[in-house]
Amino acid sequence: MASQDISKNVYSVAAAPFWHCGKTLQSNMIQTLLALLPVAAMAVYRYGFDALSVMAWACLTAVVTEVLVQKLMGQEPTADDFSALVDGLLLAFLLPATVPAWMVVVGSAAMIILGRMVFGGFGGSPLSAPAVGWGILAISWPDFMDLNGMLLKWDLIEPLSELKYFGLDAIANVSPVSQLLGDNLGALGASQAGLIILAGVYLMSRGILRWFIPVSFLAGVLVAGLIYNLIDPQAYASPIFHLLSGSTLLAAFFLMPYPSSSPAWRLPMLLFGFFGGVMVVIIRTYGIYPDGACFAVLLANLGTPLFDLIQPKPFGGR
Amino acid sequence: MMKLRLNTSVEIKGSLQDVPVPSVVRIPLQKKHKSVVKKKQIVGRGQVIAENPSKSAYNIGFVHSSIDGMVEEVLPDAIVIGPIPAPKEGEAAPVPARPEPCAEMDTLANEELSRKLLELGVDTSRFHATRTLIINGLNPEPGVVVSEQLVKDAQETLKAGLQVLERALKPGTVKLVVASGKQISLHGCTTVNSSDVYPATIDPVVVHAATGAERPDNVDIISIAELYLVGRVAETKLPLTETVVSVGEKVFLVPAGMPVQDLLDAAGVPHGTDQKITLGGPMRGVALYDLSTGVPKACTAVTMVPEGLFPPVQPNPCINCGECVLVCPARIQPGMLSRYAEFNMFDEAGSRHVGACLECGMCTFVCPANRPVMQYLLLAKAQLAAKDDMVSTCRLQD
Repeated sequence: MASQDISKNVYSVAAAPFWHCGKTLQSNMIQTLLALLPVAAMAVYRYGFDALSVMAWACLTAVVTEVLVQKLMGQEPTADDFSALVDGLLLAFLLPATVPAWMVVVGSAAMIILGRMVFGGFGGSPLSAPAVGWGILAISWPDFMDLNGMLLKWDLIEPLSELKYFGLDAIANVSPVSQLLGDNLGALGASQAGLIILAGVYLMSRGILRWFIPVSFLAGVLVAGLIYNLIDPQAYASPIFHLLSGSTLLAAFFLMPYPSSSPAWRLPMLLFGFFGGVMVVIIRTYGIYPDGACFAVLLANLGTPLFDLIQPKPFGGR
Repeated sequence: MMKLRLNTSVEIKGSLQDVPVPSVVRIPLQKKHKSVVKKKQIVGRGQVIAENPSKSAYNIGFVHSSIDGMVEEVLPDAIVIGPIPAPKEGEAAPVPARPEPCAEMDTLANEELSRKLLELGVDTSRFHATRTLIINGLNPEPGVVVSEQLVKDAQETLKAGLQVLERALKPGTVKLVVASGKQISLHGCTTVNSSDVYPATIDPVVVHAATGAERPDNVDIISIAELYLVGRVAETKLPLTETVVSVGEKVFLVPAGMPVQDLLDAAGVPHGTDQKITLGGPMRGVALYDLSTGVPKACTAVTMVPEGLFPPVQPNPCINCGECVLVCPARIQPGMLSRYAEFNMFDEAGSRHVGACLECGMCTFVCPANRPVMQYLLLAKAQLAAKDDMVSTCRLQD
């Protein structure tokens, strides 16, 4: 039979599609790390060894905790997709340089366990894991998390605390350029506003980050900031100040678009981002914490299932 | 890694090429077909070898031998036809009977003509009389250049095919959909421009582009390749025994049932077991394990995909990134649906419109977790269909 001569060569089969865009979780995370590298370098340049130590502890603890918990849960270890490393680094970016190492370890471990592993791992979490880690630390040890603690070591001011405790006059000298360059006290990475924007734009240009959430989040901050500013320019800071201060930009580009905790459709993403952005300004204005960005992220995360209910009709649906 | 482009429109350089007549063909049959030949029977090119028992004018077409030869094997899914053995001493060589051109073609119309086309091997199962007819002039998938090749090389045949279809179906309007920027017209058609970026080239999306309605129930769609085959029948008045297949950058007119191995050899394309070989394009094709498989009449391409070029698809957990949602032309949530299917929650998948899936494969294409997203969706659809089948069988037994 003719077919038998040829069938010596058996080809491997698969189900269509046979092409793939080539992006994997691992490659996306490597790109993200690459984008965050300048931010980390700038943090080390500004805050020296303290910054390095905080980032190292956060990353190490995140990866090790994930492996340990995965072993406990009987899952395959996924440290090689670098998502835990990215989360650890993002958490470190939210912390002041003076935070003690034990706290970084506790925060990072809590982030992995409560922010990720209890929901089954990366991608299952309904909350942005770094924001969860930050929230736990900020509520448990507010004194250590106070960015003003860094005043002892560095002769700079933290714009948001100044605004909170001393009013608008105290930040009259804080120019947007100094904020962009990270020339004020602040969380390690979050205060490097210019480089965070660069990192976000880089990721968007590589198609790893979608513009919907960051842009609508920043629009929300600007609109809410502008409204307050218009109500009373003597009492409320300018929208640009809100945009560049605290963790707004880090939240816009990295915490809000956290994959599992953000909606998937276009319109819900825009609403979600805008809601988060507005909440940043509201929490900063009325809350007891100087910076509300992470709380705004967590709050918006809670709304994700609701935003995701806004769905288009399926193709041909009536 | 090579840069993938999902644009399907290309500059056509070569022309439609012929291939040497193969000595052996494996002509694929569908389940409905009933073989009408026996083993060792001598058949001529164009002779009916399997019929469709249905009497309808709109159904899958008859199957004809694509070469002169002897039936070697009658299998449930294929008929193998090999060379005629040399006659024994003193016997006259058997003469394969080729059918005469069908003269009635010019006089028939409407359903009778459709039935004739069916008997001549044209698949009429998707046609209906008096509906809007849309001709999909977009290349079906990236790397498959059949449509634009035929539009360039075979205007006359396409015109003949269209005229026959107009007589057979009396369509209300005929629209031709081509890639934006291409100035193409076909006799009597309104030309509509559309995006050529996959998945804008698949039939339901093209219908939407042409009519502005999603899944309208008064529209038939036919691809340029299918129209060309109708045109071949109209021109030659002989049964349809060929198909147009895109291999690499070249397009060939191939006898139906030609083994893929022979086609690849004729095309001069290097191939080996370090590649996946698929019938159809890279997004919706069917992978072959055996290159002796015959090219079916509905085939538009043979695609080679090197192994290891792409990250392997694995049952990784979904990370909820939403990439699949953004690319899905059916506006469903493939990621969520794939998880329902993964955990056997098919009814949930059904109530969340898995049925709207257009099976374009974009969700698997973009998935950064490398999940077999569309494969899960297909599983859910198959399970739901099987369940519906069972339910309707039970009802009949009441």
